[in-house]
Amino acid sequence: MSESDRPDVTQELRLPWDDDPEDLYEHAPCGYLTTLPDGTVVRVNQTFLSWTGYERAALVGHRRFRDLLTPGCQIYHETHYAPLLTMQSEVHEIALDVVCADGSRVPVLVNSVLERGVGGAPRVIRTTVFNATERRSYEGELLAARSTAEAAEKRVQVLQQIVADLAAAPTEAEVAEAVVRAPEPAFQATSTSIYLVDAERDQLVAVASTDPTTGNWDDMPRSSRRAVAEVARRGDLHVVHDLAEAAAHFPDLAESMARSGRRTVVLLPLTTGPAEDQSGVSVLGVLAFSFAEERELTDGELRVIRLLGQQTGQALDRARLYDDARRREERADFLAGTTRALDEEHRLLQRSRRLVERMVPEIADWATVRLHVGPAGLREDAGGPAPDEDLLAARIAEATRSVTPVYATDSDRLGCTVLPLTARGKVLGTLSLRMAADRRGAEAERAFLVALAGRAGLALENARLYEQERAIARSLQRSLLAADVPSGDPRFAVESHYQPAGQDLEVGGDWFDAFLITPNRLAVVVGDVVGRGLEAASTMGQLRSAIRALANASNGPARLLEGLDRFCQRVESARMATVVYAEVDLDACELVYACAGHLPPLLHQPAGPAEFLLQGRSGPIGTRAGDRRRTEQRLRLTPGSRLLFYTDGLVERRDRPLDSGFEVLNREFSRLRGAPLKGLPAALADTMVGREHGDDVCLLCLTLGAEERLERTLGADPLQIALLRSDMRAWLTGHGVDADCMDAVLLGCSEAVANSIEHGYREDPFGVVDVSATITDDAVEVRVADRGTWRGPGHSRGRGLRLIEESMDEVLFDRGDGTTVTMRRHRGEAE
Amino acid sequence: MTDQWVTFSRRGVAETVHLKGEIDLANAHDIGRAIVARTTLADAVLIDLTAVSFLDSAGVRLLDLIVGELDERGKPIRLVVGERGPARMTLQLCAFRTDLFAIDLDRAAEELGR
Repeated sequence: MSESDRPDVTQELRLPWDDDPEDLYEHAPCGYLTTLPDGTVVRVNQTFLSWTGYERAALVGHRRFRDLLTPGCQIYHETHYAPLLTMQSEVHEIALDVVCADGSRVPVLVNSVLERGVGGAPRVIRTTVFNATERRSYEGELLAARSTAEAAEKRVQVLQQIVADLAAAPTEAEVAEAVVRAPEPAFQATSTSIYLVDAERDQLVAVASTDPTTGNWDDMPRSSRRAVAEVARRGDLHVVHDLAEAAAHFPDLAESMARSGRRTVVLLPLTTGPAEDQSGVSVLGVLAFSFAEERELTDGELRVIRLLGQQTGQALDRARLYDDARRREERADFLAGTTRALDEEHRLLQRSRRLVERMVPEIADWATVRLHVGPAGLREDAGGPAPDEDLLAARIAEATRSVTPVYATDSDRLGCTVLPLTARGKVLGTLSLRMAADRRGAEAERAFLVALAGRAGLALENARLYEQERAIARSLQRSLLAADVPSGDPRFAVESHYQPAGQDLEVGGDWFDAFLITPNRLAVVVGDVVGRGLEAASTMGQLRSAIRALANASNGPARLLEGLDRFCQRVESARMATVVYAEVDLDACELVYACAGHLPPLLHQPAGPAEFLLQGRSGPIGTRAGDRRRTEQRLRLTPGSRLLFYTDGLVERRDRPLDSGFEVLNREFSRLRGAPLKGLPAALADTMVGREHGDDVCLLCLTLGAEERLERTLGADPLQIALLRSDMRAWLTGHGVDADCMDAVLLGCSEAVANSIEHGYREDPFGVVDVSATITDDAVEVRVADRGTWRGPGHSRGRGLRLIEESMDEVLFDRGDGTTVTMRRHRGEAE
Repeated sequence: MTDQWVTFSRRGVAETVHLKGEIDLANAHDIGRAIVARTTLADAVLIDLTAVSFLDSAGVRLLDLIVGELDERGKPIRLVVGERGPARMTLQLCAFRTDLFAIDLDRAAEELGR
């Protein structure tokens, strides 16, 4: 071993902490630089050279400190480090990056001290340099951690906002709108779409998107191979990182990604149910969001995304419950409203009309109700266009036969649901509806339709029963009113008229009757039962029968009314009916009458004005408050007298006080004194109340005895000639004129009147024709006078004039101011 | 509208018109239209007037028109008027041809059928 190889033992003599100053300088644990005030390196230690890889010779005298810094640090050196050092003579912990010889960088912390010479002029700068490589990386980590935390906080904020929005969203559509806005602020997604599950139709439906130009918007079956459907089936988050991955698994997705320039897609199922139990969750939709760049999602982001899926799923679930509750409420309201609307109409036709109008457009765009009533059935349609009638008829037949609803399906050509309308166990008809295909929740919808059909069926059945009762009441009333009023007796003539209320009301309880008690005694009745409808009509029938039973030769009007008072103790509905009852002795021409709460009859004798018969009055039948002492009044009548019996509908009018009603009636009755009896009551009703009146009107007019002289005034209307003949025939019969003479007189008289009307009053529709007839033992004489323009023979009425001359024995034409024809016919032997 | 006055039936070859009630100026026109509608193409016509309670010159004019029209076409017509009654009286007063009259409906139908 050579000597030089031996360790220098002399150094061992030093204490370990007794450093050699030179060695300490060179190998201190920090870099050490001494520079001139302009920065030129004049001394550098080995530590600095080792860190930076420079040769000492390359630095000393050649480089300035600032030359060793990165460009950014050079700027910082000039703007901060150097001025600070000049001002304060020292700087501490300045962070700079030194560029090494190999171009790499060493982060350092620098402390510098400026030594000044005599007079304060800068002399030299001493700088220590600490390696800060590890500290910088630590700081970098801190910074990264902070930005990660900030991003996470931002996501949480976005998510919180979304959750708040979801909580406030009452409908599925609003939930979808809220959630579709989330991924862009939270994850910097490029666009987002949302699909919801339609469980009824087993489909996935795209409902919202922030960029509708992307993706495929067709509804898809849940069993589809498309990516959205796959993820909905699996129920777990799926991230498609790039196009290649998409192409490998979901060709449809790859195609739309390529088309819309997307690189990464997240498919998030929107779930509800227990998060820990995958099998228990149900998928209500899928949120799809995509990125234009390839995007790695951190675990934290994935956690938040999953959370978003659960929150949205729960919000959807809640909204569905809300939706269901709201629909249930709407349906209940609709049903209640429909029942109310139907109740407002009583008649079957109107009620059916109301039903279809209620359906369209509220729940259907077309509706028809068909009922099996009457020979032709009843049909009411609303909306349009009408569907194929043959298909509909087949479906109606099916629903009627099976007594179960036939619902429209997605694939059917008709598109109509047919509901049988049943009530009390039988099918009354059907209600057919064409509804929008997207009426969701078919089960609930079907229950609703069944409830609707139930209510409609009952309402229509009630209307049908009402209609039936009404028809029965009307036919009962007609049969009672039309029955055998005596006629053909020359001693009297009866003419009646019944006019039902004009406003579609039920039949009233008004009635009239006339019958012979004995061959010489005629009974006449007009009455009014309280109330309307079948009960009033049947009560009227009972009262009518009771009166016929009580009327006999010995009773008389007052005792008959007492009998009715007893009758109504058994027939309560007859109580408070009003009746005027009169008996006429046809030979003696004597009238006896009694009024039980009824309006007074009106009498017109041949001489003098018409008068109301105000005697013989007492209270209504069975009255408790009114006067029940039944009285009657007797009076003799002149042959030719007319009596009018009527019910209150004739004189009572809302726009006229009752007493003025009586005045008008008196005046009108007097005015029509000359009118033929036939048609007189109808004419009176027409004048007094018109067609549109609110009450039934019942009139009976009685003419007693044969007038000595028949006098009538006719309007210029051909229909009047038949009415005149009716009166004249009765008058001639009453005087015992033989058939041949009667036929001849009727013919001659009719022709003369026809001539006046057809020619005398050709230009005057308001002209009148006066007819008077007298009778002697051997002849009948008739005078027909008009004030029109004479048309002589040679006209088309030539045959008429010839008939007058041929049928009558003597004829005289007097043409003065108008024409008067006087005709005479000898009587043959009475038959 | 005119059903209360006029109804129709068929007796052998003859289209039979049954008139009823009062026929006068007020209804003759409508009755005439109803009858013509049924008799224009008939080979024989019977008009039963036995139930007519009144017949005036307007009714006569109507019958005259129908008879004239059938005569022109060479088709037979009979007016069944019974032995007496208002219709027969009026027609006789108007001097209708007696060969048009028949007493009994069935016999008249038989005659036309021969």
